[in-house]
Amino acid sequence: MRVPGVIRDRPSKRQLAVFAGYVIAAAVYVTVGVFYTDFLLSVFVGAAYLLLVAWLVPAGVRRVF
Amino acid sequence: MPLLLGSYAPDLMSKWFVYGIHIGGWDLKASDPVQFHRGWPGVGFTHSLLYGVVIALLFWRLLGSKTWAISFLIGQWAHAITDTGDTVGTMLFFPWTIHIHFGAWAYAGQTGRVTDAAAYFSGLGSVWDAVWIVYGIFSWRVLTRSYFEQHVFTADQFWSRANKYLPMAALLVVYRAAFFYGTSRWIAWTLWAHAVHHYPYDLSWGGPHWVHAAHSKSLSWLQLVGVAAIIAAVAAAAYASRLMFARRGDPRPDAADPQ
Repeated sequence: MRVPGVIRDRPSKRQLAVFAGYVIAAAVYVTVGVFYTDFLLSVFVGAAYLLLVAWLVPAGVRRVF
Repeated sequence: MPLLLGSYAPDLMSKWFVYGIHIGGWDLKASDPVQFHRGWPGVGFTHSLLYGVVIALLFWRLLGSKTWAISFLIGQWAHAITDTGDTVGTMLFFPWTIHIHFGAWAYAGQTGRVTDAAAYFSGLGSVWDAVWIVYGIFSWRVLTRSYFEQHVFTADQFWSRANKYLPMAALLVVYRAAFFYGTSRWIAWTLWAHAVHHYPYDLSWGGPHWVHAAHSKSLSWLQLVGVAAIIAAVAAAAYASRLMFARRGDPRPDAADPQ
């Protein structure tokens, strides 16, 4: 029996680690958004938040250490 | 990027005026939010198929990019067609001003941002969003770095131009931001509506019925025949152009034969 591609081609460990980072970023975004809904209104705010936590902060940390 | 832009285009300039904003001592809000948002007179034409075609042609002409034109068109059409799912619907065939609407979920934009969000995330509209989130998760490969570098970056000049100012790692984050935002806001609004405020779910057709929804008039038989005629004409034109392109592209005499 042919196994569906989505099950057969599993993500690598590195891809899962990246995904975990995005999940943590999403958890923070959702938590803030639930109690301060203005945070959820703009895709530009969402993109800026993600740039900050998924690129700028990690890049800064890498540069420092 | 143009596909994303197209999907936001219908509401980009209008939704703030539907809900209203407070600037200094001024309250700015449409006197008839439903008419303004989806009607004519109003900016309802932004939810029409023709609007997508016009903007796509402008992109094609001004930017010289067929990719931008077609991608924008797909995104804008997806939004305009999806919004036919609510109780007001869209003037899909503008300048014909009838509203195509399936009435699956309540339109409550006129009640304000908060009640509108509570209603949307309590009805079938929210389920429709969830379908696309699940589809996105099953298509996770399109969010990987290799897919972005091989297929997206090379197809859209926006990314190579942006790469002059931002490194590839940042562009990848921007690329993923749309799915991140769509999924996260769906979870957040759902939690806000049902875990924090306990708005009741109502997944019946046209729900939630606890909100005062706006409705468009049902189409008459004559209007339904008109809509069917337009769809048939477009399908026939598409079939004819397909046959024409098949003749041009393949020198064999039987290439255009659909059998």
